[in-house]
Amino acid sequence: MDDRGTLLQVRDLTAQFNLDGVPSRVVKGISFDIAPGEAVGFVGESGCGKSVTARAIMRLAPEGSSVEWGGRILFRGQDLLTLDEHEMRDMRGRRIAMVFQDPMASLNPVMTVGAQIDDILCRHTGVSRRAARRRTVELLGLVGIHDPALRADDYPHQFSGGMRQRVLIAIAVSCQPDLLIADEPTTALDVTVQAQILRLLMRLRRELGMALMLITHDFGVIAGMVERVYVMHGGEIVEFGEIDALFAGPRHSYTQALLAAVPRIETARRTA
Amino acid sequence: MIDLPPPDATQATAPARKRPRGRLLVTIGLAMLIALLAIAAFGPLIAPYSPSKTSPDSLAGPTAMHWLGTDSIGRDLLSRLIVGGRSTLLITFVAVALALAAGLVLGLVSGYIGGRVDLAIMRVLDVVFAFPVFLLAIAVVAALGPTVRNLILTIAVVYTPAMARVVRGPVLSVKRWDHVEAARSVGVGEFAIALRHVLPMVVSPILVQTSLILANTIFTVTALSFLGLGPPPPDPNWGSMLAEARQFMELAPLTVIGPAVAIVFASLTFIVLANGLREKLDVGSR
Amino acid sequence: MLRMVLVRLSLTVPILLGVSMVAFGLMRALPGDFALAAAGTTAVSDEVLRTTRRNLGLDRPIWEQYGIWLGNALAGDLGHSFATRKPVAGELLPRLAVTAELTMIAGLLAMAMGATTGLASARLRGRTDWIVRGLNSLLLAVPNFVVATLMVLLFGLYFPTVGIFNYVPFATDPLANVGSLLLPALALALTVSVTISENTRAAVLEVSSQDYVMVARAKGLLARTILGNYLVRNALTPVITVTGLQLAALLGGSILIETIFTIPGMGQYLFDSVSRRDYPVIQAIVLVSSTIVLMMNVLVDIAYARVDARVSYD
Repeated sequence: MDDRGTLLQVRDLTAQFNLDGVPSRVVKGISFDIAPGEAVGFVGESGCGKSVTARAIMRLAPEGSSVEWGGRILFRGQDLLTLDEHEMRDMRGRRIAMVFQDPMASLNPVMTVGAQIDDILCRHTGVSRRAARRRTVELLGLVGIHDPALRADDYPHQFSGGMRQRVLIAIAVSCQPDLLIADEPTTALDVTVQAQILRLLMRLRRELGMALMLITHDFGVIAGMVERVYVMHGGEIVEFGEIDALFAGPRHSYTQALLAAVPRIETARRTA
Repeated sequence: MIDLPPPDATQATAPARKRPRGRLLVTIGLAMLIALLAIAAFGPLIAPYSPSKTSPDSLAGPTAMHWLGTDSIGRDLLSRLIVGGRSTLLITFVAVALALAAGLVLGLVSGYIGGRVDLAIMRVLDVVFAFPVFLLAIAVVAALGPTVRNLILTIAVVYTPAMARVVRGPVLSVKRWDHVEAARSVGVGEFAIALRHVLPMVVSPILVQTSLILANTIFTVTALSFLGLGPPPPDPNWGSMLAEARQFMELAPLTVIGPAVAIVFASLTFIVLANGLREKLDVGSR
Repeated sequence: MLRMVLVRLSLTVPILLGVSMVAFGLMRALPGDFALAAAGTTAVSDEVLRTTRRNLGLDRPIWEQYGIWLGNALAGDLGHSFATRKPVAGELLPRLAVTAELTMIAGLLAMAMGATTGLASARLRGRTDWIVRGLNSLLLAVPNFVVATLMVLLFGLYFPTVGIFNYVPFATDPLANVGSLLLPALALALTVSVTISENTRAAVLEVSSQDYVMVARAKGLLARTILGNYLVRNALTPVITVTGLQLAALLGGSILIETIFTIPGMGQYLFDSVSRRDYPVIQAIVLVSSTIVLMMNVLVDIAYARVDARVSYD
């Protein structure tokens, strides 16, 4: 069933951690699709398995823990779970990229910001350091860093949280991936900065033609960002559909509870 | 010189889980300690010969009569090894007990009262802390003379700052805890608070630190004896036995093994104990 | 930065003063008489003893004696040896150089061994971790003088061609000099390498769980790039700090190692002086090594603060 209309097809995905020999299943056989260029939201509270799902697509296990994945993750028809580590490494950052939750901790403190974009460019596009730096400066400009040529030589601690998230987004889009996974990209940021970052993500998705998988615990964040939503709870997808339909009439009680938690103004804007 | 590993060296990864390894290590360490103490306590009864009885059979290799051979004036090495642990262990335990007592008092007073008293005590301890331990021990023993009493006092002084710091750290954080506040608010006396509520909280790190310092002290005592600054002859002790064996190494190479193994066994005892306690009591994990 | 250095140094001055008082007081607390010790024999006339006392300034008040002694020490005059009657400073300096070299080689060896095993332990985990940590515990239990003695036994007796007692002065043949110090340095380095290993392990584990390492993996970077640029570069600072703080242990250990391998350094000088009851020398060595260790600690602190200013992203 090779549907050319889909970029990513996930079928019966399971993720199981081993905590001191005790297996614990965090993702319990979920299936979903993402089309090329589509923006999809994943909503659920922390611990519902949405981040683990995202990391499964990247095949990133937390450091020092062992996790077993089951099912199939078809990316352009190719099952990522059958790739060897070498092939998977070529995939990461190039075809599928990820933006993480905490920009304060996500940049290497002892490397300049520019060098941290250079290295992914050199790795995947095979350009020289010098050529990479030119592209790095462009990218920094693209994500809205002023004086990008100068700031490229600064260290992360010289950047604010919002600026760092912009840098991390620049890293993620540097190789023009087909799919960008954003795992709670605005949770750690000030409210005013949150909107800017979301707008930036939207703009880049449009300009670069990427699919976006936006993971959040907050329905307010995905409002106006995505077309379709999957609601996760306890390692399962409990409800999915067009975002407008979901906002208008959530069927699952959990979705209703999540929606009830959204500040009035967001819902109002959406339904207006 | 043995140095104290960082408190978070062991537990950087493990989440909350049972620690069977810690319990195993503590059991092994305790078994080794009991063996050590038993040999020290009953040494003269176990030893096949009197440690000071000479024989014409000098610098002999291991035989059925002398399992570890004999020294330069024909004394039985196994007997000397068994009895030789006594002075080392005696000095070690008494010195560390003194350091522990002094460290407890200074650390509790310093951490609990705080302010100027804390500052004064810590500054004085800083001075002692500034000396390389072994160097200070050599200098003091060289100046005062290598008697058992001087060795004990020297080592006690040298390790007091390390003890005091281990006590003071937890006290500083513990004394602001709620139940300590609660006790104070219902009018429990300061001294009773310190004794009843603060002390139990600092026991785990102190236990670990004490076993590490015991291992360090074994090193210091045997090293001093090795340099001829140990308890005066004729009583045997491991450090000077090793030094003597080294002197006659070309004639009786195997005589080195006994004291070397004894010293390693003793320090290993306390290191195993320290590692086990650290894992079992979860000291230093975040 | 300058302010921080000055503050750090000013905190060290009182400690140094305390150290000097202990070093001075220790030798005045000798059982018996300092002058008697200086004469080297009890069979001296009262007249000679009085002269000695006057020459050494022992007839003055103790605080004045301390002041004079400290002033001299600051000016580089560490007194005269009882045994050779020569200035201690002149005798100490070349030996200090030898010890510095031995300590440096040992420090480098310890760092190489400790960093490698610690890194392997943290990265490979599982059985490697278990073996490294077991070996570390065992190594920690073998004091350096036991290692050195066993080395002497092994090489002196069974591989005499290695020639471990042939200390070659640096001026004669620099390469042979370093070569002759390798085994002693190894004996000195072993226990110190354990501390470095455990700290490296902890630092690497700490860094491994940082988000930026996850980001690096998500970038698809090669394992060696992540290891070099992300793990090692970040774990390096605490490891270097710990190594710097091991100087005291290395200096203390060098006394034993130099004595065993007959290396003419400060440690052997101290040992000889102890057996000769050459108190001014003992005093000078205590003062000088403590000062060196304290200064090293200050340097480590400053270096750490420098890196930290850049690292601190909180």
